[in-house]
Amino acid sequence: MNQGKKIRVLVAKPGLDGHDRGAKVVAFGLRDAGFEVVYTGLRQTPEMIASAAIQEDVDVVGLSILSGAHLSLTQRVLQNLRAKGAGDKMVLVGGIISPADAGKLKEMGVAEVFIPGTSIKSIADFIKSKFTG
Amino acid sequence: MKEDLEKVRQEKTRWGEKTLKAALERFKLKESPTQFYAPSDLDDGFNFLEQVGFPGQYPFTAGTYPTFPYLTGERGSGGIAQAKGLVRAGRYSGYGAPEDTRDYYLHMRKLGSRTGPNIAFDLPTQCGYDSDSPMASGEVGRVGVAVDTLRDMEVIFEAFSGENDIDRTASNFTINAPANILMAMYMALAEKRGISRDKLRATPQNDILKEFVARGTYIFPPRPSMRMFRDSLVFISKHLPNVNITSIGGYHIREAGATREQDLAFSLAIGAAYLQEGVNAGLAVDAFAPRFTFNAFGGSMEFFKEVAFHRAARRMWAKLLKEKFGAKNERSMTLRVPLTVYPGNFNCTVQRPLNNLVRSVVGGIAAAMAGGAPNCYPPYDEPLGLGWSLEAIQLSEDAARILQHEAKLVEVTDPLAGSYYVESLTNQIESAAWTEFEKIQKMGGAVAAIESGYMQREVAKSAYDRQKKLEEGKELIVGVNCFLGESELEVSTTRLVAHPYDPQRRDEAERVQITHLKETKEKRDHKAVGLLLKELKVAAQKEEVNLIPHLLECVKAYATLQEMCDILREVFGEYRPAAL
Repeated sequence: MNQGKKIRVLVAKPGLDGHDRGAKVVAFGLRDAGFEVVYTGLRQTPEMIASAAIQEDVDVVGLSILSGAHLSLTQRVLQNLRAKGAGDKMVLVGGIISPADAGKLKEMGVAEVFIPGTSIKSIADFIKSKFTG
Repeated sequence: MKEDLEKVRQEKTRWGEKTLKAALERFKLKESPTQFYAPSDLDDGFNFLEQVGFPGQYPFTAGTYPTFPYLTGERGSGGIAQAKGLVRAGRYSGYGAPEDTRDYYLHMRKLGSRTGPNIAFDLPTQCGYDSDSPMASGEVGRVGVAVDTLRDMEVIFEAFSGENDIDRTASNFTINAPANILMAMYMALAEKRGISRDKLRATPQNDILKEFVARGTYIFPPRPSMRMFRDSLVFISKHLPNVNITSIGGYHIREAGATREQDLAFSLAIGAAYLQEGVNAGLAVDAFAPRFTFNAFGGSMEFFKEVAFHRAARRMWAKLLKEKFGAKNERSMTLRVPLTVYPGNFNCTVQRPLNNLVRSVVGGIAAAMAGGAPNCYPPYDEPLGLGWSLEAIQLSEDAARILQHEAKLVEVTDPLAGSYYVESLTNQIESAAWTEFEKIQKMGGAVAAIESGYMQREVAKSAYDRQKKLEEGKELIVGVNCFLGESELEVSTTRLVAHPYDPQRRDEAERVQITHLKETKEKRDHKAVGLLLKELKVAAQKEEVNLIPHLLECVKAYATLQEMCDILREVFGEYRPAAL
């Protein structure tokens, strides 16, 4: 990570899902909590997200998915990051995700899954604990 | 009267200084946590005929219809009555490949459902991609059914033939950017069945402007999108007398974060922009406005404010039509909407999810107070993932039945009419919404306010404000940001009755549908499709041409949804959102 600099986060919307309230709110909230935040906007392919993560030199990639397509989309983002040599970036997923699927996502290599009702503070605390701990 | 009001005003001041003050001192409060409304709180006095009127009459504050035979007992009806011999579209549904959705509808029929299809399409279909597109990968058949060609509509509608054929059954299509393509498919289906177009009953959502503000299934930029809207408005008005032109949805904007006043002002501004398209096309407003419908408005747990909101919405739409558009037919002025107050999907919680049943019942009671059916929406498992369980649907329907038959809530229309509080709240919400509406008109109307990103930014800002209030504990959601102590029981729920759609079929749907698409493409006359697509392109380049007849020809030749959308993308371009 960028020593002494702000933690950089990419908030991304993979796939065709247009529900972006959560993504935007988390982007605003993390920015106000002292992170550097880049928001991709809608309809990003896994390839586009991995490229943006590298180009923007982020430490964290946050994926927001409410379409039920989280397993396949997250898998592809992780594959793309690894293929581009960026497999060390922390990947977080937010959305309507069942406990069973959250388990599967963590097995794939996702650091944490955040469901509706999560406070931005707890997301910020989680990220900080991983980078300063 | 005036003297009486003055006396009440004086008495209220005295009450505040004496009786109320004593209570505040006793509880050591600086200000009162409760309000009391007296006749003197209605700013301009109160004129019943002007501000409320009778149900089914201008300005429709009391209700859209003079009376209403609510049918909350009927399975899947959504509590909406229907004329004898006709079948209304029912619950929003659509799964996997077309075969899956057909089988779901057949299964629901066996379970007693007597409603038409209210089709949810998957995201690739909504965004103009075929099932074999790389953009569709992982999303085919997920949030709804996949439709690539006319063949897929033929399969879905195998569930609607014979006694419930499409001349007797109303269909709803939750489709926006490619709405005209789906309507062309529906007309082609009718033609194949020998049913004349004027018998078709349907409601395409066809509300593209809100897609730019919320929900996000846009394809083309706002201006060419409005040309597509104009084509549908003109075509439907001339050829499809029983089809609704649009189903305008403020609730998506609210779900995306809008405040009550933004929801109302943005939806009315969007509605006004659609009306203007019809006027600009040379039609009389009364020739098409009666076929405008609304999907839903609102979505919050604030009981009285939501009741007032719906009363204000009906009055504002009526005034807009009468005063700004010069409508003469009262039906043009009615805000036809199947759902009134509901708690808002956003406010339903994953945490202790059965509490959502309580939330939906509060919404159902408010709905009855607001001149609607006491629908208890959504089923409690809404936030647990896509597809409500049958038991959640049962409880949702039972809740509405209890409100109607046991609590007898629908015996009176607009029971809060004349309430000092509710009338004053209705006025306040209306006035704030008109202020915002006029602001948008000054920007050049809804299209301009979307092109500049104004509406999108305002909604995002409001969403963040709400989040901050939740994090600061200024707004409370039980089980989410309060009442989380160790003594609270984390009541969870097990959904024992399986959803009628087998999840294994969902996992197979993408592969299955890509195979069907390949087969359909192999069977069709490629040369004919190519020629028709070229003609579509030429037609699209001429702003004044109505594209629906061209789309109909393409559809009949089994051109795919994406082939048609790609042609239009070449001509119209694609929408790129304004920065946050």
